[in-house]
Amino acid sequence: MGFFSKLFKGPEIDMAKSDANAKKMRALFNQVVEDGDRYQLIFGYTEDVSRFNYGFVHGSKTKIGNLIVGWNEADETIVAVPTVPDLSGCGDPTYYRRSQILKAYRNKYPTDAFVIYPDKKGYIAINAYDWLEDESLYVYVSQDKELAAFTDFFLHRFATK
Amino acid sequence: MLLLAAAAVAGNLWFHLVESVLHGVRKLFDRGKEPPVWHPLPPEKEEKNDV
Repeated sequence: MGFFSKLFKGPEIDMAKSDANAKKMRALFNQVVEDGDRYQLIFGYTEDVSRFNYGFVHGSKTKIGNLIVGWNEADETIVAVPTVPDLSGCGDPTYYRRSQILKAYRNKYPTDAFVIYPDKKGYIAINAYDWLEDESLYVYVSQDKELAAFTDFFLHRFATK
Repeated sequence: MLLLAAAAVAGNLWFHLVESVLHGVRKLFDRGKEPPVWHPLPPEKEEKNDV
């Protein structure tokens, strides 16, 4: 009986690995963002879907971009820092201040994403889950409480509609 | 069944061939471009152990 219950339990989160990655996320974020400790952090990702047609082979490709997403409730600001699944480094931050963006909302279909339009020219759609196991594509981190806090902030303080 | 497997393999090979050619062409156009800014993870500060 014990064997089968373990079999159907599903994958277990390695909390030591998750905590180590959370520390790395904080280190990277604080390195590039001034007063980084004023922001709470979650891991998010973007999906860029493009179509291709190479003659008799055609289909769609999805490019995954990893982000460290920081938010400050008092300033109503979200900061997105591009990174990679192993958190070996990061790019420059992009700031989204509620007073300066065009619009922000939570998309439900086709994907559950937090969408921000900084201006009319483009947008960013941030996807986030409490835990993703595939370390080749996503940062391995458990973040159910942080995700709930970010969702609450985004829906009730940041979203424009 | 074998025909399907052969088609899948051929399709994959063709896809990867075209992708590598396109990648090479893109590199030619990106020669003069500056690489994107990248900040490596800072080394962990060693904890000082009190003896």
